[in-house]
Amino acid sequence: MRRSAALHRLAYFVTDAWDEWRHSPGVNLLALGTLVSALFLVGLVGLVLANVGRHLDAERANVQVHVYLHDSVGAEERERLRRGIEESAGVVAVESVDPAEALRRYRAWAGRSAALVDELATNPLPASLEVTLAAGPDAERVGATLVAGLAGRTEVEDVRFDRDWLERVEALLAVARLGGGALAVLVFAAVVFVMASVLRLAVHARRDEIEIMLLVGATPGFVRGPFLVAGLAQGLVAVGLALGGVEAARRGITAWVGAESIALVGLATLRPLPADASGAVSAVGIVVSLAAALFAVRRSV
Amino acid sequence: MIRVHRLSKVYPGGVTALQDVSLDVERGEFVFLTGPSGAGKTTLLRILLRQELPSDGQIVVHGRNLRALPASKVPEHRRGIGVVFQDFKLIPRKTALDNVAYVLNVVGLSGSEQRRRAHLALKSVGLSHRLAAYPPALSGGEQQRVAIARAVVNEPDLLLADEPTGNLDPDLAVEIMRLFREINARGTTVIVATHDRDLIQRMQRRTIVLDHGTVVGAARATA
Repeated sequence: MRRSAALHRLAYFVTDAWDEWRHSPGVNLLALGTLVSALFLVGLVGLVLANVGRHLDAERANVQVHVYLHDSVGAEERERLRRGIEESAGVVAVESVDPAEALRRYRAWAGRSAALVDELATNPLPASLEVTLAAGPDAERVGATLVAGLAGRTEVEDVRFDRDWLERVEALLAVARLGGGALAVLVFAAVVFVMASVLRLAVHARRDEIEIMLLVGATPGFVRGPFLVAGLAQGLVAVGLALGGVEAARRGITAWVGAESIALVGLATLRPLPADASGAVSAVGIVVSLAAALFAVRRSV
Repeated sequence: MIRVHRLSKVYPGGVTALQDVSLDVERGEFVFLTGPSGAGKTTLLRILLRQELPSDGQIVVHGRNLRALPASKVPEHRRGIGVVFQDFKLIPRKTALDNVAYVLNVVGLSGSEQRRRAHLALKSVGLSHRLAAYPPALSGGEQQRVAIARAVVNEPDLLLADEPTGNLDPDLAVEIMRLFREINARGTTVIVATHDRDLIQRMQRRTIVLDHGTVVGAARATA
């Protein structure tokens, strides 16, 4: 009997929530639009940050020393040097990259911008050796030793083992995450306020109904029920629309990047929003929508 | 059923709505509360519904002391009371049937049971042919009859009506009073606040006269 009453109550909440939506569609759409916009923007920022972070992780795992050789160094000499480095402690692999391969890689990376090199009479890129070190705590020390040993050699024009940029970008990323998080808190607080103000109009439109329900013995929780169910449904719809929008934007940008061959943008929009970030956006959307509905109805009930 | 002892209500700012009011209403009685505007009729009804708390004195309804009644028990108290307003307070976007049925959601009845009981309540006020009509399409008398059906659909022990005929012409007012008398005849205690002396005279029921928040007179039913 109690279960049956609870089911009837739930059915009433759902029916009345739908009724409430139909009764004030403009007000509810305005509230929904506000939430979708905020969630979409936060999702988009999350998408960019997640992909940059993922790229940095890949870079950190891929510890490489780049050895650029003088133009005068021939293939045989390059191969001898490659073998010598390969035998060094902590080295996993050494790949020889000739100027033609370097140019091919550059063209693939730069896309349309690569047309600039076509205007040059000769290939400006030098031959190089890409030395992959074993990832781990010793990588920094092994890399520094290798750089010191190679820097003085006559075949070598330049040696690059720059890990500092990773630290700098990661520091920037941490600041962006922290700042973005703080900004998101402020934005969602404002969204709760705006949505609650808008939804209050819908509550006000039903003030007679609310008064009657309270006078016939409805508890405040019972009267709030349909508004909270409407808030929950609104949150779920907003999350669906926002996450769908973020994914559509990712696909759109990826397609555009593919067409335009813009490598840098491609790095940031390569993969969909991770599950944990999607979950966070969903939770925030539902909590914000429920909070707004509760604030809207609490003043009247 | 209702015991009121030295009840006072003073609003913030010092306005006295009720002062030292004492009265009893027995189960199954039909009582008029009358007096000029500002006499305290509506305030007394609001206190009976526990919409307001008295400033002093005691009020006991159905054995419950309303001054000591915790907020969590107020809904249960109200479920035993039906209420009718001067302005009907019907929901324009609901049909007559739905206006009566939706209040039964509070007691957790199924949709079909709600409609069955609402149908019976509307039939008892002579509106079984207007179930699907929306309030704007109903006359004032019909709207008030829907409001009465809504008030009695949950079979309350006590029915409170605040100026129920204030917006109706004299013939319709008599019709509404006839309905209250029928409801009372089924055992429901009825308290009607009105300043319509002709109606009171015609009904010949016990009358309590309020003025400036105090009981200034009472008359027993003569019929």
